[in-house]
Amino acid sequence: MIKPESIEDLETFLALAYLLEIESSDRYTELADNMQVHNDPEVEQLFRKLSEYSGKHASEIIEHAEGMVLPNVASWDFEWQSPEGPETTAFEFVEYQITPVKVLQLALHNEIRGHDFYAHIAEQSPSEEIRKLATEFTDEESEHVELLKNWIAEMEQNKGNTRDDMDPPNMPE
Amino acid sequence: MTNLAKAKSYKSDIKPIWCPGCGDFAVLSALTKAFAFLDLAKQDLAVISGIGCSSRLPAYFSSYGFHGIHGRALPIASGLKLARPELTVIASGGDGDGFSIGGNHFIHACRRNLDMTYIVMDNEVYGMTKGQASPTTQPDWASSKLTPHGTGVRPFQPAAIALASGASFIARAFSGDPNGMTKLIIAAIQHPGFSFIQVLSPCPTFRPEQKLWKHQVEAFPHEPTDDPVKAATRLYTDDGMSSGLIFQSNYPTWNKPEVAQTSVKQFEEEFVV
Ligand SMILES: Cc1ncc(C[n+]2csc(CCOP(=O)(O)OP(=O)(O)O)c2C)c(N)n1
Ligand code: SF4
Repeated sequence: MIKPESIEDLETFLALAYLLEIESSDRYTELADNMQVHNDPEVEQLFRKLSEYSGKHASEIIEHAEGMVLPNVASWDFEWQSPEGPETTAFEFVEYQITPVKVLQLALHNEIRGHDFYAHIAEQSPSEEIRKLATEFTDEESEHVELLKNWIAEMEQNKGNTRDDMDPPNMPE
Repeated sequence: MTNLAKAKSYKSDIKPIWCPGCGDFAVLSALTKAFAFLDLAKQDLAVISGIGCSSRLPAYFSSYGFHGIHGRALPIASGLKLARPELTVIASGGDGDGFSIGGNHFIHACRRNLDMTYIVMDNEVYGMTKGQASPTTQPDWASSKLTPHGTGVRPFQPAAIALASGASFIARAFSGDPNGMTKLIIAAIQHPGFSFIQVLSPCPTFRPEQKLWKHQVEAFPHEPTDDPVKAATRLYTDDGMSSGLIFQSNYPTWNKPEVAQTSVKQFEEEFVV
């Protein structure tokens, strides 16, 4: 198991950053698909938007890596504070009555974890190059955190945070 | 570039209909990551299942697959592996499918030790038929109208039974630990022989209390062993809520015997009365 803060070469750091973003993007798509199947277009669209944002970050990381050959890294080779990468939403956090506000709160939770992840590397990395890039990523994550906080505040004003179901699916037979 | 970027290419266009929060999502995701990591060619890969929520799995892959009949994932997968030994064959299903109606097939598949992987998504309930007790349900679970006082029956012990029946790779994974599960799936596919993974995969709809599993599941507190006696002792003192590789040995695998080929026509003639 590798501690992410002990990575010494820029290629491995970028490969890991890229992996975090595509995992996050893929998971949001999986959750969007699931909410589509369960006929919740509002939540579905939110997850799709979040997937798109993570996908964009992944593309930006690829731009940073132009001209480099990135190694084949796997998420399970690294020691995380969370079961998966810091920006990946756990399936178990989602339930069929999830509200749009809760979706954004999950995204906020991911962005805060992403921020803390990069901030830790920006402090601890043995490589100056990595520290510099990690600082840049930390600042970007701070922006995302602020954006999400505002978005949540706006939504909370307009909508409640619970949903009732008069005919729940789990009536045992 | 990471191979894992290709994980989603192993998925079909069919969107899973599982309930949001179902543990089976993590199994699907872990399998696609394992396939991508191993860089398996889709045409050399087949996912076979029985019937149940978990058994819907093959539909969600872009590789070959077969959504079979209840309890028969293993006979179908075994037949396929014998006919096409070069394929990577994954059999899958639920605890009802694998240990109730398919229980006898489970024992004999372990015994044969064909080179394939069997993944059981164990949620201790029949999810698809709306929440009845399964062989792994605790005896005092009383939330089904069919067993209002619980089943009163000792639960089936999948790992111990696999061990006693001769499976050569036995592991327990947890859908709340997707990375740990992916590693186990990779090791299971690479293992030459019958590899069995019992995945603790919560059903939040009919067993909402299983949401607590994430606080209960711990790492299996021993290094894997190739000694069945040691493994048995460990399994008997285990509460069934630990995850990791438990047992791995190099028992000989069973391969298709080299016998004279019979055409379908000749075969049919044998049955003419
Ligand atoms: C021969 C036969 N008997 C019974 C059934 C009804 N049936 C469908 S799925 C199922 C059990 C599913 O439970 P499990 O395998 O644990 O999967 P889960 O749905 O929990 O994933 C049963 C009994 C059937 N389809 N076929
Ligand atoms: S009923 Fe249970 S096992 Fe079936 S999809 Fe829903 S949560 Fe999963």
